[in-house]
Amino acid sequence: MKRLAGWMLASPATLAITFLLVIPVAITVGLSFGSPGQGDWGIVQPYADFFASGFRRNVLWRTFTVAGWVTVISLAAGLATAYVVARCPPWMKSTLIVLAVFPLLTGVVVRSFAWLVLLGREGMVNQVLQATGLTDGPVAMLYTQGAVIVAMVYIFVPLMVLVLVGVLENIPEDLLQASSSLGAGPVAGFFQITLPLAVPGLIVGAVLVFTASFTSYATPHLLGGTRQMMMGTFLQQRALVAFDWPGAAVVAAIMLAVIVATVLVMTRVARRLNPMAT
Amino acid sequence: MTQALTIDRITAHYGTTKVLEDLSLSVAEGELVSLLGASGCGKTTTLRLVAGFLQPTAGAIRLGDKDLTRLPAHQRDIGLVFQNYALFPHLTVRENVAFGLKQRKVAGPERLKRADAMLDRVGLAHLADRLPGALSGGQKQRVALARALVIEPPLLMFDEPLSNLDAKLRIDMRVEIRQLQRANGTTALYVTHDQEEAFSISDRVAIMHQGRIMQLDTPEVLYQRPANAFVANFVGFENLIPLQVTTRNGAEITARTAEGAALTLSQDQLGPIPDAFTLATRPDGLQVTATGGAGLPATLGLRTYLGRAYQYQARAGALSLTANGPLSQPLDPGTAVTLVPNPEQCAILKPE
Repeated sequence: MKRLAGWMLASPATLAITFLLVIPVAITVGLSFGSPGQGDWGIVQPYADFFASGFRRNVLWRTFTVAGWVTVISLAAGLATAYVVARCPPWMKSTLIVLAVFPLLTGVVVRSFAWLVLLGREGMVNQVLQATGLTDGPVAMLYTQGAVIVAMVYIFVPLMVLVLVGVLENIPEDLLQASSSLGAGPVAGFFQITLPLAVPGLIVGAVLVFTASFTSYATPHLLGGTRQMMMGTFLQQRALVAFDWPGAAVVAAIMLAVIVATVLVMTRVARRLNPMAT
Repeated sequence: MTQALTIDRITAHYGTTKVLEDLSLSVAEGELVSLLGASGCGKTTTLRLVAGFLQPTAGAIRLGDKDLTRLPAHQRDIGLVFQNYALFPHLTVRENVAFGLKQRKVAGPERLKRADAMLDRVGLAHLADRLPGALSGGQKQRVALARALVIEPPLLMFDEPLSNLDAKLRIDMRVEIRQLQRANGTTALYVTHDQEEAFSISDRVAIMHQGRIMQLDTPEVLYQRPANAFVANFVGFENLIPLQVTTRNGAEITARTAEGAALTLSQDQLGPIPDAFTLATRPDGLQVTATGGAGLPATLGLRTYLGRAYQYQARAGALSLTANGPLSQPLDPGTAVTLVPNPEQCAILKPE
């Protein structure tokens, strides 16, 4: 009776996930495979085609690079900010967190247009650079990899701060006092106690940021243009411009594989760095 | 190696609240001194000041001839044992113990050898590769002790180290702490709110109240000769009887209460007695006798059963007293009796 009630309660969510997530993903992955007799590679021929194309390899590599940089920069900036915020008195802490989260309150399109205004040829950044004499002519910033990275870091640092403040606050003050009583200065204490204990949070943050930037669409579309095509924008182009559904399915399946692999690798790294983390 | 600790007239504030005022205390080489008091009395604050987690607003702290007052915590070289152990959860037991040696740049093999030797001394060699999360409370406290001892600090400090352990373990651990401290001859400062614990392991105990030391002496003196009403109450002298000397006859004196009840006391037994004083007794030191003899006429109130005796709440004039009577004859509320202080269990408090 109790078991039945449990199943009944779980059924709406289970059904929704089955029909809206599991089945569509299965169909997409299924669509990405070729027929057995086709080409040298049989059913994985579409994947072989993907990796045979220099352009597509470039898109994949660029997506890795951008997501990697965004993750590293967000981790560093987020950790530094969170470290300061976690040490503030409570009233100041809540103010700082609200301020840090502010960028998350605007929509992605509005935000990207703001970047267009800032980074364009006639944009504010170029005006300032020329007015101060740092450059003679306008610098091309829009539609570069840098623009995409900057815009993504801007949105992911707040996320990282949110995750890390919670983690850092949960490290008992006692542990740092114990480490200093044993002769560890502030720097040694940070690297030997705070950082290892923050690893679970750093991993969660890194996975979140890496997967979100690896799969992002709007930012690279608006600020990277076609020259800086990433997997997200390439997927959109395959599916909705070229109507190449099997090709789009291959892109989607590769993105899925990368994300699953990332999560698995990161969990292993976490366990290596901090045996407490699971 | 071991050194004397001197706390010289320190004052400390939390924000604008003064928590310690003009506190002085010295701990001799190899001595164990406890700070004993209820929460908020300033005992933990004193420890935090010595550890360097808090800065005094006035005064100085010295260890041997080294002035610690402005030294950052990590340069003070003090072994500290925390109430909740504060073991590093991501490091194994061995790495926890070796942590202090690592900061002192002791080479790897030497470091492990010394950590293992110390773990052996606290009987935990077989758990060296575990993480702290897998240990019991008593084992954690042993690791914390080993971690503090392995750096061979000139001063060891304990912040309520046993209060998270169960009663039986608490007694075993305090014996163990005392043995290790004695064996190493390390100077130690021990903070606790448990009187039995403080008295059992300390050379001297400082009883603290509202940021001041009320009395600092050996447990024996504190227990038998409290210097003031606060300490007397703290160590169980529940009855405080104000008296005025009326006649002196050599060592014998006669003193009366405000109601006129007379007691005869001997200065040979109790030491010099001033003209106005307070006689402090424990419930056991106040005998319940039939009316008529010399003593305090009183009326018994509530009777409670202690196992070894009956305890009575009694009224003698304006005084509320607690006395223990024999199990052989339970007395009912309302019985008129005479309470006679047993001089061997009394203390004389001078007016404050």
